[in-house]
Amino acid sequence: MQSKQLSTNRMTPKKFLDQYSIMLITVLMIVIATILQGTTFLSLSNFVNIVRNNSVVGIIAFGMSLVIISGNIDLSVGAQMVLVASLTLDVVNRTGSAFLGVLTAFAFSCTLSLITGLIVTKGRVPSFIVTLGLQYIYRSILIYTLNGGGITTRNESYAMISSYNLFGWLPLQIVYFFVMAAVFFFLSKYTVLGRHIYAVGSNEKATRLSGIKTDRIKILAFILLGAAIAVAAVAESSRMGSINSTSSGTGYELNAIAMAVIGGVAMEGGKGKITNTMFGAFIFGLINNILTLVGVNTRLVNAFKGAIIIIAVLLQRKSRER
Amino acid sequence: MAEYALKMSKIIKTYGGIPVLKEVDFAVKPGEIHALVGENGAGKTTLMNILGGVVLMDSGEVEVLGEKLSHLSPGIMQEKGVAFIHQELNVVNDLTVYENLFLGRELRTRLGTVDVKAMCREAERVFSGMQVDVDPKALVESLETSTKQIVEIARSLLLNAKIIIMDEPTTSLNQNEIDQVFSLMTNLARDHGVSIIFISHKLGEVVQFCDHYTVLRNGEKVSEGPLRPEDGTQVDQADIARMMVGQDVLSVEVYVARRLGEAVLDVNGLHINGHVRDVSFSLRGGEVLGITGLLGDGKEHLVRGLFGDIPIDSGSIVLNGKPCSPRHPAQGKGAGLGFLPSNRKENAIIKDLSIQSNITIVSLEDCCTAGHVLSGKLERGMADKAKQDFSIKIADFGNAITSLSGGNQQKVVLSKWLSMSPSVLLLSNPTQGVDVGAKNEIYAQIMKLAEQGVGVIITSGEAKEIIKICDRALVMYHGSVRGELDRDELTEENIMILSTGGELGKNDRSTAVCNPNS
Repeated sequence: MQSKQLSTNRMTPKKFLDQYSIMLITVLMIVIATILQGTTFLSLSNFVNIVRNNSVVGIIAFGMSLVIISGNIDLSVGAQMVLVASLTLDVVNRTGSAFLGVLTAFAFSCTLSLITGLIVTKGRVPSFIVTLGLQYIYRSILIYTLNGGGITTRNESYAMISSYNLFGWLPLQIVYFFVMAAVFFFLSKYTVLGRHIYAVGSNEKATRLSGIKTDRIKILAFILLGAAIAVAAVAESSRMGSINSTSSGTGYELNAIAMAVIGGVAMEGGKGKITNTMFGAFIFGLINNILTLVGVNTRLVNAFKGAIIIIAVLLQRKSRER
Repeated sequence: MAEYALKMSKIIKTYGGIPVLKEVDFAVKPGEIHALVGENGAGKTTLMNILGGVVLMDSGEVEVLGEKLSHLSPGIMQEKGVAFIHQELNVVNDLTVYENLFLGRELRTRLGTVDVKAMCREAERVFSGMQVDVDPKALVESLETSTKQIVEIARSLLLNAKIIIMDEPTTSLNQNEIDQVFSLMTNLARDHGVSIIFISHKLGEVVQFCDHYTVLRNGEKVSEGPLRPEDGTQVDQADIARMMVGQDVLSVEVYVARRLGEAVLDVNGLHINGHVRDVSFSLRGGEVLGITGLLGDGKEHLVRGLFGDIPIDSGSIVLNGKPCSPRHPAQGKGAGLGFLPSNRKENAIIKDLSIQSNITIVSLEDCCTAGHVLSGKLERGMADKAKQDFSIKIADFGNAITSLSGGNQQKVVLSKWLSMSPSVLLLSNPTQGVDVGAKNEIYAQIMKLAEQGVGVIITSGEAKEIIKICDRALVMYHGSVRGELDRDELTEENIMILSTGGELGKNDRSTAVCNPNS
């Protein structure tokens, strides 16, 4: 018989560490970097750079977090983003309308994610396999269609979507990152769907037996990721003004998963917080930035990233087991 | 040769201060098929686990083939010739028969490679000794369940087993397969002098095939004796059922007589392939209907089918006058059904959600403000109501559900259905893994719900539970309803007789009225 003592509502140091460890690590990294590099690091322009460089993958990471929390994974996000971006640029070029381009991005990306979700749930194929396959399919179709090259736009209003600086210093791309963070935070915490996503990832059987359409929940999580991918596709292609079929978006899926995991999203589902994924994205960007500033050979940056991912998960395991 | 192949004397075992075995004596002769029977929790499994070396006894003596054993462990017991064949078959489906037989101790050639030929030869030798025909090279996956069982028995013979423990070996077999396994058992006992300890709830089989019986009840041996007519026995199936149940007086009275309402649920000819056969019944508002039977007799599938968790193959369900054929639990819920599944941890607890979220999960839509935004206040209100109605002990709704005791967890997963005001509640094993005190509280809650007019269906393998709270019970056997008992006929004996496949004659239909114990 289990009879653990009922704990009270008091905030214990352990609870505090559990909830805010990611933020503490972020702050710690900032403090250390400031001590080492002073104002070179601690400047507005540097921070704008850090966030901007990671905003596209960060936006995907929010959607990825929901999908992982629901008990699935999506390895096709990088290829899907480029595929969506290329169609978007094509529409912008043909119609001259940035608005129609954005509309296309959402419609196309959500449809692709709906298909992913349908294969995963109705076909009962593990999402790892489905999205691994889709990744190859998307990338291959893209390279074939664009003949291995890319697609470029000169549409100025489309370029402004990402590059316009609010107040003269805040690129809209960064605004999208924070808006998406807020939207996904709200969805995960204050909607029925969000709660059901956690429930499905935690115990699918029990959730189903509570009279909830679990397949529908899982598909909707994919579609929300699809929407995030659409935003990422527009942000990326409008900032660059072009998309390359072979080089764009490569490794985005793993980086997005890394941000979620550093932020404490559990691969087995049911656990994770959008706010922490946001800090995961910050940490990811900070590693890059600090190592560059300190003068570590850029070829070694990924080794540090890899180490941070493993250490982050180790720390979270430990704190959960205690 | 020793008089007894196995002699266990004065075996005592306690778990956390609660005695599970109280000075139990158990002896088996060579070449005997000995039935060990008793209700769930009577101590059969613990006794056999001690014999298998899996569980350490507190005190007592074990003698195997005349040799007193001071130390028991799975390895030693295997060496001494004790083999344990569990209810869940322990074969590797992806391997062949001979690979299974020699798993972990493969025969080798001089070069160190596995000697397939020698193993197949050995396997064939054992099978021919058992007078069965099994291809050693066949993939185990392709075999019938009974043949898989034969493979397991063959494996124990290869280990020179002298005592084979078979725990509920026939539950997953059909009649032909059962006959095959029993003829094999008889052959092993008669021709090879192997002793077989047969644990089963199917008393019909016990009386038909076994030489001797021992009945355990609440950790004590209450009776033993011969079963063969030629040994002058007079014990029959009903006698054993009575001995298993004993003269326990039911403790706290929770049943309340009440006026029943109109029929809320009508089930007609319900059929679920392989599990439920032609089940029909009707449930009235405020009625508590028990569905009992042994493990695997279809009661679980029946309620899961009603709720839409598994597909129904034929039959009709009418709920509140409207035809209803849920194909998903969401539809069952939508029609007004609530469902408490068995195996709480696996099927009911959402471990990463807080206590409050586990309560509100069923009717989360009702916790939203006009703009579809979840309201913590509304959620708290719903959880508070459940807490009060079910007197759940909760310090903080934000805590993990796993921080609660089993009884309180069960109350949480039961109370969550009240928010949707179900017209019928399906409760599968509602007091599983719950201690005695909490059990009575849950029974009282169920009574209260019934008094409010909710129709309740309870499935349970515990006869005592059914008797305690049900107005009426259906007893299932092999997927169909073997009999229906009204409250005044609800006795453990009647339930035991029906659930073991027996018949209630007009005369020996014992009623609770003339039963001095209730």
